[in-house]
Amino acid sequence: MKLTRRDFVKSNAVAAAAAAAGVTLPGIKTAAAADADGIRWDKIACRFCGTGCSVLVGVKDGQMVASQGDPDAPVNKGLNCIKGYFLPKIMYGKDRLTQPLLRKSGGKYAKDGKFEPVSWDEAFDVMAEHWKKAIKKSMEENAGKPVDKMTSRVGMFGSGQWTVWEGYAASKFMKAGLRSNNLDPNARHCMASAVGAFIRAFGIDEPMGCYDDLEHADAFVLWGANMAEMHPILWSRLTDTRLTKPDSEVHVLSTYEHRCFELADNGMVFIPQSDLAIANYIANYIIQNKAYNKAFLDQHVNFTKTPTDIGYGLRPEHPLEKAAKNAGKGKLSKISFDEYAASVAEYTVDKAHEISGVPKDKLEKLAKLYADPKKKVVSYWTMGMNQHTRGVWINGLVYNIHLLMGKISEPGNGPFSLTGQPSACGTAREVGTFCHRLPADLVVKKAPHRAFSEKIWKLPEGTLNGKVGYHAVLMHRMLKDSKMNTFWVMCNNNMQAAANMNEESYPGWRNPDNFITVSDPYPTVSAQAADLILPTAMWAEKEGAYGNAERRTQFWRQQIKAPGEARSDLWQIMEFSKRFTMEEVWPAELLDKAPEYKGKTLFDVLYANGEVNKFPVQEVKDTDGNVYENDEMALFGFYPQKGLFEEYRLFNSAPDIIKKGHEMADFDTYHKVRGLRWPVINGKETLWRFREGYDPHVAKGEGVKFYGKPDGRANIITAPYEPAAESPDKEYDLWLCTGRVLEHWHSGSMTRRVPELYRAVPDAVVYMHPKDAKKRRLRQGQMAKLQTRRGELVARVETRGRNRTPEGLVYIPWFDAHRLVNKLTLDATDPLSKETDYKKCAVKISRA
Amino acid sequence: MNLCSAIVHAKPEQAAVVTDRLQEFSGVEVHGGQEEGKLIVTIEGTEDDALADTLTSFNNVDGVISTVMIYHYCGEDAANEEVLQ
Amino acid sequence: MSDSAKSKTKGVNRRQFMGDMLKTACGVGLMGMGLGFYANKADALPAMAIRPPGALPEDEFLGACIRCGLCVRDCPYDILKLGQLGDDVPTGTPYFTARTGPCEMCEDIPCIPVCPTNALDHSLTDIRDSRMGLAVLVDQETCIAFLGLRCEVCFNICPIRGDAITLEYQHNDRSGKHALFIPVVHSDACTGCGLCEKACILEEAAIKVFPMHLAKGELGKHYRIGWEEKENAGKSLVAPDIEHQYNLPEGVRYDLQGEGLIIESKEDAELPISSNPLDTLNRGLEDK
Repeated sequence: MKLTRRDFVKSNAVAAAAAAAGVTLPGIKTAAAADADGIRWDKIACRFCGTGCSVLVGVKDGQMVASQGDPDAPVNKGLNCIKGYFLPKIMYGKDRLTQPLLRKSGGKYAKDGKFEPVSWDEAFDVMAEHWKKAIKKSMEENAGKPVDKMTSRVGMFGSGQWTVWEGYAASKFMKAGLRSNNLDPNARHCMASAVGAFIRAFGIDEPMGCYDDLEHADAFVLWGANMAEMHPILWSRLTDTRLTKPDSEVHVLSTYEHRCFELADNGMVFIPQSDLAIANYIANYIIQNKAYNKAFLDQHVNFTKTPTDIGYGLRPEHPLEKAAKNAGKGKLSKISFDEYAASVAEYTVDKAHEISGVPKDKLEKLAKLYADPKKKVVSYWTMGMNQHTRGVWINGLVYNIHLLMGKISEPGNGPFSLTGQPSACGTAREVGTFCHRLPADLVVKKAPHRAFSEKIWKLPEGTLNGKVGYHAVLMHRMLKDSKMNTFWVMCNNNMQAAANMNEESYPGWRNPDNFITVSDPYPTVSAQAADLILPTAMWAEKEGAYGNAERRTQFWRQQIKAPGEARSDLWQIMEFSKRFTMEEVWPAELLDKAPEYKGKTLFDVLYANGEVNKFPVQEVKDTDGNVYENDEMALFGFYPQKGLFEEYRLFNSAPDIIKKGHEMADFDTYHKVRGLRWPVINGKETLWRFREGYDPHVAKGEGVKFYGKPDGRANIITAPYEPAAESPDKEYDLWLCTGRVLEHWHSGSMTRRVPELYRAVPDAVVYMHPKDAKKRRLRQGQMAKLQTRRGELVARVETRGRNRTPEGLVYIPWFDAHRLVNKLTLDATDPLSKETDYKKCAVKISRA
Repeated sequence: MNLCSAIVHAKPEQAAVVTDRLQEFSGVEVHGGQEEGKLIVTIEGTEDDALADTLTSFNNVDGVISTVMIYHYCGEDAANEEVLQ
Repeated sequence: MSDSAKSKTKGVNRRQFMGDMLKTACGVGLMGMGLGFYANKADALPAMAIRPPGALPEDEFLGACIRCGLCVRDCPYDILKLGQLGDDVPTGTPYFTARTGPCEMCEDIPCIPVCPTNALDHSLTDIRDSRMGLAVLVDQETCIAFLGLRCEVCFNICPIRGDAITLEYQHNDRSGKHALFIPVVHSDACTGCGLCEKACILEEAAIKVFPMHLAKGELGKHYRIGWEEKENAGKSLVAPDIEHQYNLPEGVRYDLQGEGLIIESKEDAELPISSNPLDTLNRGLEDK
């Protein structure tokens, strides 16, 4: 068929007019347009938030030229948010890194040198030299120590944006290979508190419900989640239910008014930290009114209390830590129902109002909603509750409410912790990239868990380190103190993301004793502060898998090639492991237990172990017969993604697993579906866990069983209100709350390179109340100086924007690399979850 | 090349007559829609003015109720270039 | 096409025809390429040129404005420009272009008090009362909010969001379980500042600000803008300027006698990054 431009344009013009008029024209050449574009379409999970939308991406001549929401995806049904709309553009920023860059001076690596391009060989040579030095020193320090006392000077900081197998390969590299538990993901900053609370209450991680709750609930309560901006597609589902379901309600709790308040039937602005008092008041209301579900409590719940006055996760010499009676303690002790009731009795509506500042009628409206046995309620939260110095507590206090009412684990009823990152669940949590975890909910502290992992990983007994490693915040402190000397940051921008940059992060990274490697597609703030930068293949440039907040695991094929010499994190980890002989990383006495490993490389032991390299090079094909590249398969000579995933399945799906409940389908199945929600048993997904009929692990007649706990009972855990680590005072007289905006993802390294998103929201502004601005002789649009005890920056004042703060509190997003908000924040953490509280510190503001 | 498409509303019973009248204008082609009374029309011209005037003058044709422009393409590209073989 | 019957007109001039076209098309959400077509041909004040806040109705404004440039000088965001010889904007008169530089709606409206002739009405003291133009969501086919995507950038950026632009929630029939968040502009509150048009993430904005005189035309009121008036106004009043200097961001020039604001390369100017990553990396961290 021949087609001139005139024909082509004319057929488009006719088609457009016919479509607009609703007229069907026989024989118009719409097919010509489809033929002419020659685009290959395939599915992929969105690169951004934890919602887990599926996107169809169009590739032509090796470039991603088109995208669309996936109309067949149950999560988003063809929709995207504005970030998802621009997904293809995130890979084509004009300053993509295409070759390794090393700080050099006079032709040699120098800590104070300028970045110069180097080969991968030179990059890994220099890097390995520093890692080997640090490992040698650790081995000397660990000589004669039992495994649960071992320390390590090497560390890696990963990501909830890693693919599942990248996280798994990293976990294996650090924990099995280098015997270091100093591996933590940026998910520590994001939902560690949720994890802590899941384990304490239910003994197993991740939400019991799923997104279908959005259609089944009668009411929604947001506890510190700005879903309207941060989970845009879920918010459109929630909104739709509110619009279409009679008598449905939306309650929103926050420390400032945000976009969700537009839909709220009951919007509540509370004083920071007072959510603890509000949650306890609701429990008290339920008990006082005898509204609780006694049968449910009798059969499925234990009552416990947690130690109080536990400090703020600061350095031990900090006065607040010295003053804390039970710093860092969290061991639960059993109490009776009456003792529990007594512990919340003081939280009357008067007291809750006094602490929180929320009008009493609003508090009562909320309490009544929870206490009404006929109303199905889902509670949602994200960073407002997780980034909290009492994050594990407040997560638990909300579980208490649901457990008291038995409103849990059924359609439309349940607490639901939303995740911020696309694979915080799938990668960070499920494959064990935390400093205390092993795959599938196993932990390093428990000897049987280590033994089981050693068996799967074919390691001699006693290989795995039993001491919890350095968590995210501690890593920066240890770098500053020269106790950790090499640090590899992958798939995140922790210099911009970690709190208290001036006092901890930056001095730690630039400490001359340390060698910092950053793997990234772009020159981020972290890259700027590194010693070696490795150019990374991102997202569609590799075969990948993500797990979203509703336990849905989604796979995609490699769509395009990365530019220049950029390589995936998976390749980087596996290739780097070839640089180590076993003698360099394991002491002789351990190696004597596995003499067959002598003389081998770490790569041989970890990845050429008969499991990971089990699947030979093969064609990756979709059902239409399109063939896809797989760069890692080509480079390693086997199918590493498949091998790693199938080995990982031995942790969650093999017959002898220690902790049931994380079962997954096989590798090939996932390529054929828009994700499956685990546990997947006999090919069937699980929508609601712990409930008979929905969850195959709950036997007939059991009704509900919280099988993560040995006795099948969930814990109600009482905890009081305790104040924040740093509150406003005379000098620093405002609360500072930080967060995100819809248009930008985290530190903005991808979205700020999309011109349209940059134009939409170019700079971080500080949202403040007009009266607070006026008091400081500031007006809308003027530049203001924000100062905390740790740092300062200048930003434009916004008094009329999308976020309306109450007097006494300001909000600033942290995406802007030109305004490093984390120079201001305090590195106080929840002592239990070690997650930083980015929502509360004290700031003063003046005219710039 | 300068090309646009429009929907010309006409009473269905007069649509055939209107179609003939419209096709008398230079560069105008009617592609269908007579049954619905919504004629799908393309107009091709060399400069904007000609198209606008043509569209305007549609309203003077008896039986035309209104004209809605839908799509306009204006490019420097050669119209006869082959884009697909 | 419900309003098709009433727009039966004969012997219309081009402007009326265009006005009708605009109205009809807006009504059914089919503007699409048509608007660009329209904008090309409206040779009076270009559709995209917006007068500063407080500007008198265009006729009166052209009479009152003495082309002194003081409003341009006092605009703290440097968004105001003066019409140049050969422009479609009457020479020497102030205007701004929403897509590239919208009015930031300063609370104290510094451009007004400096106007020596009241061409910018001194009685305007609350910027919310200004009517520089009116935002119109001209293309509902490409506006991704109408497709159910979560964008709402225009709503988020609107300085009087909630009044000038609101979101109308609608059920998404296609997906069955999502809501649409439809931006709706309210002319009783919209000042025409143009922040929404600038922020629109489409390649060609789906929401655009039209000057009030054009909005009037849409409303069918008679008004005169024409090349004649342009000729009558201005020319002889222009005295040679002293050399102008401008506050401009990097990568942007201002050519007084030529095309005005020149953005060297749109992408380069908009993104504060060099295409060579080494420039960023070796510069070091912000104020470190």
